[in-house]
Amino acid sequence: MATVSLKDLTKRYPNTDSLAVDAVNLNVEHGEFMVLLGPSGCGKSTTLRMIAGLESISSGHLSIDGKRVNDVPAKDRDIAMVFQSYALYPHMSVFDNLAFGLRRRNVPKSEIDKRVSNVAATLGMSELLMRKPHALSGGQRQRVALGRAIVRDPKVFLFDEPLSNLDAALRVGMRGELIKLHHHLGATMIYVTHDQVEAMTMGDRICIMNGGKVVQIGAPLDVYRDPADTFVASFLGSPPTNLLPAVFNGAGLTVGEAKLPVTKRGTADEVVLGIRPEDIRIDGAAPHVQGEVLAVEPLGAETIVRFRIAGVSNDVLVRGPRTVTARVGERAPITFDLASAHLFDPITTRRIE
Amino acid sequence: MISRAFLFAVVMIYTAFAAGPFLWVATMSLRTTTEISRDHYAWPEKLHWEKFPDAWFNSNYSVYFENSLLVVISAVIVLTVVGAMAAHCFARYRFRLNRLAYFIIFSAIIFPPQITIIALFQILVDYGLYNSLIGLTLVYIAVQLPLTVYILESFFARIPADLFDAARMDGYPEWHIFWKVSLPIALPAIATTVILNTILLWNEFLYAVVLITDEAKRTLPLGIQRFMGDQLEDVGMIATGLMIAIIPVVIIYIFFSEKLIQGMTAGAIK
Repeated sequence: MATVSLKDLTKRYPNTDSLAVDAVNLNVEHGEFMVLLGPSGCGKSTTLRMIAGLESISSGHLSIDGKRVNDVPAKDRDIAMVFQSYALYPHMSVFDNLAFGLRRRNVPKSEIDKRVSNVAATLGMSELLMRKPHALSGGQRQRVALGRAIVRDPKVFLFDEPLSNLDAALRVGMRGELIKLHHHLGATMIYVTHDQVEAMTMGDRICIMNGGKVVQIGAPLDVYRDPADTFVASFLGSPPTNLLPAVFNGAGLTVGEAKLPVTKRGTADEVVLGIRPEDIRIDGAAPHVQGEVLAVEPLGAETIVRFRIAGVSNDVLVRGPRTVTARVGERAPITFDLASAHLFDPITTRRIE
Repeated sequence: MISRAFLFAVVMIYTAFAAGPFLWVATMSLRTTTEISRDHYAWPEKLHWEKFPDAWFNSNYSVYFENSLLVVISAVIVLTVVGAMAAHCFARYRFRLNRLAYFIIFSAIIFPPQITIIALFQILVDYGLYNSLIGLTLVYIAVQLPLTVYILESFFARIPADLFDAARMDGYPEWHIFWKVSLPIALPAIATTVILNTILLWNEFLYAVVLITDEAKRTLPLGIQRFMGDQLEDVGMIATGLMIAIIPVVIIYIFFSEKLIQGMTAGAIK
């Protein structure tokens, strides 16, 4: 177990103007499962690779257990990493793949045998030890990649989108196993993904990145409920948060035809109203506005309804119960749960407190 | 059906074209020069197997064979190790002038040997390596290195970078990664270069004839030249010498041809 601390960590590739990673600050606690979440190209993988020692650090500090490791080569950082491509050595058996790192560290042979067979038993692949990687299925390769990290008992585990090459069913299964594994090992883990479901279900905390910068760090539900800006609001959640242009005038907040009883916050009159699809109801008792139904998507457990509100440029998505009876073309009453809504500054995109 | 027949015919004609001269030399190697000059294309009336031990013991072929073996094996070992290391660096590391250096090495392939041989001769004389097996070995290494690097580089470049990163995370320094990850994975490509280099150098004549004069330092292709005089050529013994020279190559090819094709067509590493 170990703590990992990033202070103003920055990566600039030669011959480019923009920063791949821009002054990232992050503290990962002992035994914490930290998820780096963001769209592709947001710098999350580069950040992970800098922690691993596979990318040089342009500026800033990286410390593990309080010790600065900026210039410590990858091989001496005692970190294990699971790659998206698994990166199993194709010419070695599963056993040798697992033992490769231990042999380098001069672990005695009997100890290697013991540790490899323990890990193999934990991951349920004891019968596969003599096979070569090409004779394994995707899920089995994933396990070997995982085992290769576990068997070394490193200070920190790094995961670079380890589940994205698996099919959907297997991914859900492996997600559960990874959570169990984290509880079992109690190790510090840093996990990169672009999949918000993985981030929400696995992370103790999530660090959301965009354009090389950290946007928000927090527990999954905190980040989900109180997004720091419109990017987080629209990136987390499926369907995403509705972001509707709105204006304060005397009576309250005007969103197209709708007049909402919201007291003014901040200084600007023009704001963006952010409200999640599940915080909007379709019912008749004192609705805020009538909307025209554009589409109805029954998903079984729930129904996604797409509305148009007169005077609002974007469509409004509503997550309703499966009993929704609205039909395309009809007008239906809409009620906003304003206690769960947020206001954002349209220029800075930050949330208005 | 017709296209198959056509294909078959083409393959047959090509085989006859390629194997014909070989068979012809094979028959001549068992006939005496007198017999051959009587009728060039006849089958051997009596199989003169004794010509083989005669060439081996009385015409110094055992020495030539030994020299060839020594030169080719050491050249191929150095070529493989140095070539693989260079290819690994070109394919793996970003450094200044990487592509330029690679291009310069690669462009050496296009020069015909005749262009460089006089300069090479002079250099070897200056360094006291003329007329020595070490000199010849060094020249062979220099001549074959560009092609070796070229073949291996394209293979190394296809090995996923994650594998190297994984080995780094497992605690291995670059030197070990080369030996324990790159080299074993690239084995099919390495087999290809070993076979190609062995065959090419085993048959090499031009550099050998320019750079070696001592009877005791001749390689096999030069040994054949021994039977070519100003006045008369011992065609029968030339054929026997050729057969002795060819046999190791044929054996290597038979055993490794599958690997050779594998290496040439080897694609993705899964």
